[in-house]
Amino acid sequence: MPIAAGLIMGMLTVNVLMLVWAERKVSAWIQMRMGPTEVGPFGLLQTLADMLKLISKQLITPSNVDKPLYHLAPLLAFAPVVAAVALFPFSQDTILVQNDYGLLFVFAFGGVAVLAIFMAGWGSNNKYALLGAIRSVAQNISYEIPLILSALSVVLVVNAMSPTLGFGEGLVETNGLDLSHIVMAQDQHGIWFVIFQPVAAVIYFISALAETNRAPFDIPEAESELVAGFHTEYSGMRFSLFFFAEYTNMLIVSMLAVVLFFGGWDGPVLPGPLWFFLKSYAVIFVMMWVRWTFPRLRFDQLMTFCWKVLIPLSILNLLVTAFVITVLGQ
Amino acid sequence: MGYFGKVAGGFVSLLSGMSVTFRQFAKTVFGRKAVTLQYPKELPKLAPAYRSAIKLIRFDESNSHDCVACKACERICPSYCIKLSGGKVEGIKKKRVAMFEMDFALCSLCGLCLDVCPTDTLEYSKVYEEAGYNRDWRVDLLAEFRDYEDEFVAKQRVIEEKAAAEKKAKADAAKKAKEAAKAAKEKAAAEAAEAQPSETQPPEEAS
Amino acid sequence: MSSDSEANKDAEDGEVYSLNMGPQHPSMHGVLRLLLDLRGEEVVKAKPVIGYSHRAHEKMAENRNTLQFLPNTSRVDYLSGMIYNLGYCQAIEKILEIEVPERAIFIRVIANELNRVASHLLWFGTFLLDLGGITPFLYSFDDREEILDILDQVTGSRLTYCYGRFGGVTWDVDENFLARTTAFLARIRDRLGMYKQLVTDNIILRERCTGVGVVSTALAKSYGVTGPSLRASGVAYDVRKAEPYGGYDRFDFEVPVLHEGDTMARFHIRIREIEESCKIIEQAIKGIPEGDILPKKMPKRFKLPEGEFYFAVESARGHFGMYIVGDGSDIPVKLKLRTPSFSNLSAMPETLAGTMLADTIAIVGSIDVVMPEIDR
Repeated sequence: MPIAAGLIMGMLTVNVLMLVWAERKVSAWIQMRMGPTEVGPFGLLQTLADMLKLISKQLITPSNVDKPLYHLAPLLAFAPVVAAVALFPFSQDTILVQNDYGLLFVFAFGGVAVLAIFMAGWGSNNKYALLGAIRSVAQNISYEIPLILSALSVVLVVNAMSPTLGFGEGLVETNGLDLSHIVMAQDQHGIWFVIFQPVAAVIYFISALAETNRAPFDIPEAESELVAGFHTEYSGMRFSLFFFAEYTNMLIVSMLAVVLFFGGWDGPVLPGPLWFFLKSYAVIFVMMWVRWTFPRLRFDQLMTFCWKVLIPLSILNLLVTAFVITVLGQ
Repeated sequence: MGYFGKVAGGFVSLLSGMSVTFRQFAKTVFGRKAVTLQYPKELPKLAPAYRSAIKLIRFDESNSHDCVACKACERICPSYCIKLSGGKVEGIKKKRVAMFEMDFALCSLCGLCLDVCPTDTLEYSKVYEEAGYNRDWRVDLLAEFRDYEDEFVAKQRVIEEKAAAEKKAKADAAKKAKEAAKAAKEKAAAEAAEAQPSETQPPEEAS
Repeated sequence: MSSDSEANKDAEDGEVYSLNMGPQHPSMHGVLRLLLDLRGEEVVKAKPVIGYSHRAHEKMAENRNTLQFLPNTSRVDYLSGMIYNLGYCQAIEKILEIEVPERAIFIRVIANELNRVASHLLWFGTFLLDLGGITPFLYSFDDREEILDILDQVTGSRLTYCYGRFGGVTWDVDENFLARTTAFLARIRDRLGMYKQLVTDNIILRERCTGVGVVSTALAKSYGVTGPSLRASGVAYDVRKAEPYGGYDRFDFEVPVLHEGDTMARFHIRIREIEESCKIIEQAIKGIPEGDILPKKMPKRFKLPEGEFYFAVESARGHFGMYIVGDGSDIPVKLKLRTPSFSNLSAMPETLAGTMLADTIAIVGSIDVVMPEIDR
């Protein structure tokens, strides 16, 4: 168990280093520049240098902060995302924590992150931080609904298409909420669910962007309006914990997208985990691509978009899916 | 139906925007067309009219500058950054500047001093890396000209003496020509007087 | 007074809190301080505080003669530096009745319009940066670099030009300059198509800007708003057409006008103005004659006659006017610069009341204020 936990932490740290480097490089290439090139080959060690700098910074605590909230918030932002990574199936046999309700647990951990953001904003004793935290809480809570509804459509499809999984002795009844079962169902039929549920895939992707506070939904950390939003008052290692949590959250939502829609570890030639990560990083690349293309949505437009566009569409999608399954089942 | 149309239209506009950035991305990665200039490994190409710190021109013929310390540039400078002094140098008629200091922390590179200089002896240098370690940026513009100054004065004296000698020779020649003309005129007048026989002189042949 | 009692009511309301968007801010407005009273996300009252960038240009004008003030003119508004510099030269030429050679007139028009395009491109990039779209900033600055390089070849400066002299310009342009400018016109027309696809058609931008920050015609007129902000509110006033100067009456161009008065209208007007400037540059390049760039006989000192004089040009932001009082010597008694951003910003408090916080940034960005021009 400790070895596995250590492996997970190592993997996540390398992942964050790679993602920050990738973000800077992708944004540079989109903007016709080069990005980091000096530190290490192709600038690969740039993030390491930045992390070392952040670690060595003085931890400034502003006066009149709410001490318990202020100090706990980064930890509470960081812990759930690390826990959620343990639930993902990297290949047929590689899964750290086998859980029958993996999908629900992942969404539950995502919900805890909202609490951490609000603690950070309130405890910072700063109007900008509070504004950012308020917006973030409303945004995260609202966008969880289309996220879950689109995932539910996939669960319905899984249960309908593959009532049983496995061969001979290992025949099990499919549990749509089990992440490895979702992937095995796609594996069994050889079709990724993105073909069956394109609308759900798009809705899921947009909601995932909003859940991780990425542009065009990055109002909570809108630089040109609120300096830095809810993590304005954090410096040094505390800031890097928020940073770490954000990038790991990105990885989690894209890994979930790969599991739900893109076939998980499925793929020719290369080993399963490698395909899994390649597909996750492809989804992350699209997230970065979207970030550097579009301006930001205003907050009330963001909420309007969620409640008047995404939720009706995802409910409609769910109803249509259920209807089609019922009709085809007969 | 308008609702679905708006959603679909908006989605299409987003995708077309994404295609633009992807095109730029592909151009930069595969076409190697980044616009970054990797300074300091690559230096930018400076335009001929590039404005860097002011300096004195070293003319080819005289191998030195031509500043006569008239102080026109000091008077016109809007930033009050020029200080110069100079005047008559012993041995030559031409005035030379003795101290010429400019403070480039104040200079705005407006070029008014270049415009008013009567001998056109100021120009922009083409130094790109103008950085220093402190705020003191006073530059002595005569630093590179000082060791040649004596030789210049000597050469200038020779030139001036030659010019003076030529002038004198010309003046002498003109004077001589004038005198010669005067003498010729007198001679002509005297000859004219001789041509007329004199009353007091008896004729040569008598017997 | 009613406003006081309203203010007291808001203070007692308990829901209204004040937020200071201080002079140091990651948005692109320069050193503008906005004191906002907010109720939740809605702005109840907005008060701009200016003066953080005051450099005493008008006082400097009183201590320098007319020729020595030339470098200052570019630095008043460094984004329209060429327009201000040449505008000041044209003002003195009008006062002293100096005749400008034909070639210099054409060169001045080309330089002015290139500067206008550069300023609008910068506005485009920074406006989108305020809204959160970071990439178009890089693209528009790439285009702007080409203009700066073109002007650098001729004048030696990239941003603050001291290119004009009374009666003409300092250095002549060559074939290389004209060829490069023609190539640039083709490039910018192509890029405007790309910007339309990336930015103008984008639904997020349209949602952010349409109907936001409406400046009515009456409000614009009462505060003396000029430039693209006025033309977006329905008034077709452009100094180049209303009081033609510097050869602009020879060129055929339109003054774009829209009537909605919102941020999207101001956006469209500036894009249209880039296209119109390209038209003017094209005509000027085609028609530029040979000749001198400075008059043959020039006085050594430019003494202002006694009296008051006013001259105005159209800068990228609006109507830039110079009010000069002379007393016979070459040092003016008073030089007042009527800068367009000052009046444009004065219309802001009324416009911002009732909008949301995110809109505040968009509206102030769309007015295109340059703070050094306001504070001089």
